[in-house]
Amino acid sequence: MRNKTYNKKKILVVFLCAVVVITLLISRLVYLMIVDAPYYQRRAEALHEREREIKAARGEIIDAKGKVLATNKTVCTISVIHSQIKDAEKVIRVLSDELDVEEKIVRKKVEKVSSMERIKTNVDKKTGDKIREYELPGVKVDEDFKRYYPFGEVASKVLGFTGGDNQGIIGLEVKYEDYLKGKNGRILTTTDARGVELEGIAEDRVEAIHGDTLHISMDYNIQKYVQQAAEKAMKEKQADKVSILVMNVQNGEILSMVNVPEFNLNEPFTLPENINEQITDEKKQELLNKMWRNDCINDTYEPGSTFKIITSALCLEEGIVKESDRFSCPGYRVVENRRIRCHKVGGHGAETFVQGVQNSCNPVFIDIGLKLGVDKFYDGFYKIGLMNPTGIDLPGEAGTIMHKKSNIGPVELATMSFGQSFQITPIQLATTVSSIINGGKRVIPHFAVCVTDKSGKEVKRFQYETKRNGISEETSDKMRGILESVVSKGSGKNAYIPGYKIGGKTATSQTLPRSANKYISSFVGFAPADHPKVLALVVIHNPKGIYYGGTIAAPVVRDVFSNILPYLGIEKNDKLEYTNEMKKQKR
Amino acid sequence: MSQRVKKRRYDYSLLTVVFLLVGVGLVILYSTSAYNGEVKFHDSFYYLKKQAFATLLGIILMFVMANIDYHIWQYFAVLAYVIALILSTAVLFIGDEYNGSKRWLSLGPFSFQPSEYAKIALILFLSYIVMKNVKVIDKVRTLIKIIASTLPIVALVGSNNLSTAVIILGIAIILIFVSSPKYMQFITMGVLAIGFLGIFLALESYRLERLAIWRNPEKYEKGYQTLQGLYAIGSGGLFGRGIGSSIQKLGFVPEAQNDMIFSIICEEFGLFGAIFIIILFVILIWRFFVIATHAKDLFGALLATGAMGHIMIQVILNIAVVTNSIPNTGITLPFISYGGTSVMFLLLEMGLVLSVSNLIE
Repeated sequence: MRNKTYNKKKILVVFLCAVVVITLLISRLVYLMIVDAPYYQRRAEALHEREREIKAARGEIIDAKGKVLATNKTVCTISVIHSQIKDAEKVIRVLSDELDVEEKIVRKKVEKVSSMERIKTNVDKKTGDKIREYELPGVKVDEDFKRYYPFGEVASKVLGFTGGDNQGIIGLEVKYEDYLKGKNGRILTTTDARGVELEGIAEDRVEAIHGDTLHISMDYNIQKYVQQAAEKAMKEKQADKVSILVMNVQNGEILSMVNVPEFNLNEPFTLPENINEQITDEKKQELLNKMWRNDCINDTYEPGSTFKIITSALCLEEGIVKESDRFSCPGYRVVENRRIRCHKVGGHGAETFVQGVQNSCNPVFIDIGLKLGVDKFYDGFYKIGLMNPTGIDLPGEAGTIMHKKSNIGPVELATMSFGQSFQITPIQLATTVSSIINGGKRVIPHFAVCVTDKSGKEVKRFQYETKRNGISEETSDKMRGILESVVSKGSGKNAYIPGYKIGGKTATSQTLPRSANKYISSFVGFAPADHPKVLALVVIHNPKGIYYGGTIAAPVVRDVFSNILPYLGIEKNDKLEYTNEMKKQKR
Repeated sequence: MSQRVKKRRYDYSLLTVVFLLVGVGLVILYSTSAYNGEVKFHDSFYYLKKQAFATLLGIILMFVMANIDYHIWQYFAVLAYVIALILSTAVLFIGDEYNGSKRWLSLGPFSFQPSEYAKIALILFLSYIVMKNVKVIDKVRTLIKIIASTLPIVALVGSNNLSTAVIILGIAIILIFVSSPKYMQFITMGVLAIGFLGIFLALESYRLERLAIWRNPEKYEKGYQTLQGLYAIGSGGLFGRGIGSSIQKLGFVPEAQNDMIFSIICEEFGLFGAIFIIILFVILIWRFFVIATHAKDLFGALLATGAMGHIMIQVILNIAVVTNSIPNTGITLPFISYGGTSVMFLLLEMGLVLSVSNLIE
């Protein structure tokens, strides 16, 4: 049983075979780790890297005086990572105390075996920092931006709000999304096979770019005051809603746009409290959409007598009527066998055209409207800009609802001339009236003035072109005079403020269906009447009790003007005797 | 046989290499298994603790074996083989299933893998049988008889652990090859074996699929493990990411502490680290070779040769699989891959070889 020589030789053969094979394997390894390595490395990195977005802070919205109307708030998301928790009881106690979440709920999430469990989102930064200070292993505090509106309800339907991805949903937030949103950055992190990020490995980072700041023409102080005035009117008249628009007559800048009831921009998905909670999602969405509607631009109404401004301007421009032309009102006019009544049952009797406007006398306007004729009336609408959207920089502007030209007979023409049987938006009325009294320049109503970047450097200044609207300077001047007399002597006298020249026109329109006996009373006013700077339109929907525009809407404009005119630097003239005659003598 | 009590003189080179492998193995095992331990058992030391316990037990067994004259084992060779057969049969019926294979027997808190024991039992049994038949070893009949005697264990183990069966068969062939003075017979056998292998593969389409996956692991879902191993190897470069810094071990390479541990060695220690580990194994095999050629008698030489064949086959097959040089099959890397039974019996086997070296005159 010796270990013979041939045994030793064969052991050597086996050993040498092993050495040869192992040498081959080493070559294979060298090949893999040097020649093939770049390929496998790339593939491995692609497998390990995860991209995570860094949310860009959204740009602010700033009013005409530099007040911040929309900004961002840092909020925190608190989560737990099950595998990293060391002291579960302490984590449960701290989180339920600090976050005010029931212990049972926190316990369930902490004890759940999962990679990550979210405990609470939208936690304010102070609480988040406090939780971070506990330095609890397994508790993660992530910071995020949330849109924040410091004044809650102010201009809610104008500013709009943002959704979960920080994207604009309504209002200016949508319209100027491209400027406001900024550019998200990203972090490339390395993760394990479950997607959990690894600590201590250098991350690739592309920083987020802050959104640009939008400067708008709205003035917070005016907006706030106008909102109070609207709320007061709504309460006193038990109206459904009140809209007030204040704009710069000369360039179309909107100083204030109020639609009460407004809603809280920080809680845009919360319905008013008195709404029954037992509603379907569909119904809730419908109610939310209704709550978010901006009546000044999204909805149309029959303008009624305020529209007589447009009829007057068109007729004066065409020479159909002169200020001194005489009319007679028996309380109605018969057009094609139809008796169209004046609001004054007994009639206004004999009157001049100017008096007809002061009295808001329907027969006067039926006469001049019929005289103007369908063609010229219709052409005038186009020229003056009434048939196209105003181009306001808010989404969802409603178009004008007008008869087809071929369908307009004498009756339609008659009713159109005093603002019935068609519908326009409040912004359309305000813009068209502004363009008539400013010397005949059609302006584009707007909020946006310019955009600046984070450092304050101007990135973009918005240009709004004006164009002639077919109304001459002369007609415009006549209209200013006539409308001033409406306030100083006529149906708009409730808008009169001693020491100011104010022009304006009242309206009371019945909503459809007529049988419901619901009214919209409105008043459009401007000041100073001889060199108009600012125009205000008040629309009160479904007031209870007295519903005449001259009685309930005109005082609202007076209230608004008496406060904002001094604020805008439009001085009171104490010596001013407020009559048309005086004005004429001065010329 | 000398009954003279002489001063034990360990093969210190062998002992050093074994301790180096065991020590480095534990470090690598911890680095590789910490993540999986944390994820599965919330204890990053889970695998290390079990392995360290088995290693400690194995080291004790190694020294015990080293101090026992190996000749005593010839009287237990047949018994050891019968026990291996019984255990391998038992595991088929009462074994614990893990990853779809019944490979473990539970003994209280310990679990035990009979196939690991079967390897050493077979080395002992074959050394004994060959020694008994050494005079007629050049006869083909003897060869067939000896090979036939190993078939029961190969079949039993192979029924649920093909890779281990291949290793056992490989050890058997090496032992018979070494004991026989002839070459031609083995060349004929080799050719026949390759032919049978071809038929064997063609019989079952899933085996052919394995070949296809081997050729092109990126195109098959089942090539995932292989591909992840290659990613790890490729990520290592010359010097590696550094100890503990492997990313592929974080769940990408499935159960990185098992068969694919060599790929993590490549990722963390780079080409040089990987070659260092391979060189440790080559030194180990070289020591076996030296002991086998210097052994006092054929029994000792065959025991050392069996150990050499065992380590050699496992190391070669493991690295070949990890580098995708051959189709994927589950073979662990000795001393380094996770497996308590494996490391314990490996150390016991080292003790046996040390015992052979101790009696070299």
